[in-house]
Amino acid sequence: MQTVTTLRLALRGPPSARCAPRRFSWRWPRTPATPRPTRRGYATSSADEPPPEKPRVTFEDKYKNKSVVGVFTPVSALLFVGVGAALYFYFDWEKQRLQKQREEERLSRSYGRPTVGGPFELTTHDGRPFSDKDLLGKWSLIYFGFTNCPDICPEELDKMTEAVDILDKEFGPLVQPIFITVDPARDTPAQLARYVADFHPRMVGLRGDYAASKAVCRAYRVYFSTPPGTQPGDDYLVDHSIYFYFMDPDGKFVDAFGKASAVPDVVERVRKEFAAWKEERGGLT
Amino acid sequence: WPFTSTSKVPDNASRQDRAKCWESRDLYFACLDAENVTVPGKEGDKCSSAKKGYEQNCAKSWVDYFNKRRILAEQQKPLLEQA
Repeated sequence: MQTVTTLRLALRGPPSARCAPRRFSWRWPRTPATPRPTRRGYATSSADEPPPEKPRVTFEDKYKNKSVVGVFTPVSALLFVGVGAALYFYFDWEKQRLQKQREEERLSRSYGRPTVGGPFELTTHDGRPFSDKDLLGKWSLIYFGFTNCPDICPEELDKMTEAVDILDKEFGPLVQPIFITVDPARDTPAQLARYVADFHPRMVGLRGDYAASKAVCRAYRVYFSTPPGTQPGDDYLVDHSIYFYFMDPDGKFVDAFGKASAVPDVVERVRKEFAAWKEERGGLT
Repeated sequence: WPFTSTSKVPDNASRQDRAKCWESRDLYFACLDAENVTVPGKEGDKCSSAKKGYEQNCAKSWVDYFNKRRILAEQQKPLLEQA
């Protein structure tokens, strides 16, 4: 019976257009239709004025969730914020973990290192030859400077001396402090000898001719500015980069310390390197 | 016979001479600070004895270097204070 009626109506259109209003409305869900006044009177009188329509109750009004904002229900909003916060913390943790891993890799000896260092041929302040082969089998701290330096070289060399003293006490004479001059014109062996005597007793002063000095500075990526034609009597300063280089018993570069590194930093770094080397090779040289 | 010269060229390789130079520099600069003068040489006659000691105990290149550094430090002070 139901389907027949539906079919009939589908074919003929809504009945209210043709005859007296039906009892049921055709909107879903089926609710009894509100009685509507007919509009088929022949004469209109004030009594027959259709009363104002009651406000229609729409589907949305009946079933709308009033606590919804835009597309967010309270539950979905909470889920959204929760997942967002969880993702943020996860990414933060992951980033920190990766940073730590990278730091460890950088310090680890198996990772790539800058190509600082290389072959050189110089002479010590005692007049003995000294080449890069003499670095093998010992740890070295190499500082580039000149004896006529106003205050920075003495400061850095004092720092190096103090660090080597501390390491000597702890590990024995494993680290050799080396001073390479970037001013060979004025820094004769005698001058060098006098200069390094003021610092650590094991400190070695190295010099070479202008070409050899330039070569060793290039190998160690040291910048210096002595013009080639200077005479020993001239009074000038040599501008140069201020680092001392930490080399391992293989003659390979480990780390560079600048003005910003204090003695404890240097000692700590050397200790760490000693520990890593010992783990790898069994001994300390 | 020859007069021994009282002034001797400071030996930059000796720790003692370096220390002496630094001390005389510090004295001279302290005097300049008291006179509120940044550029050494602009104070006129005020710190002349300190200045003489400074220029005698330090090599000329060192004197120039320290003077330049003092001016630079003064110029950088407002920047450092900002940081």
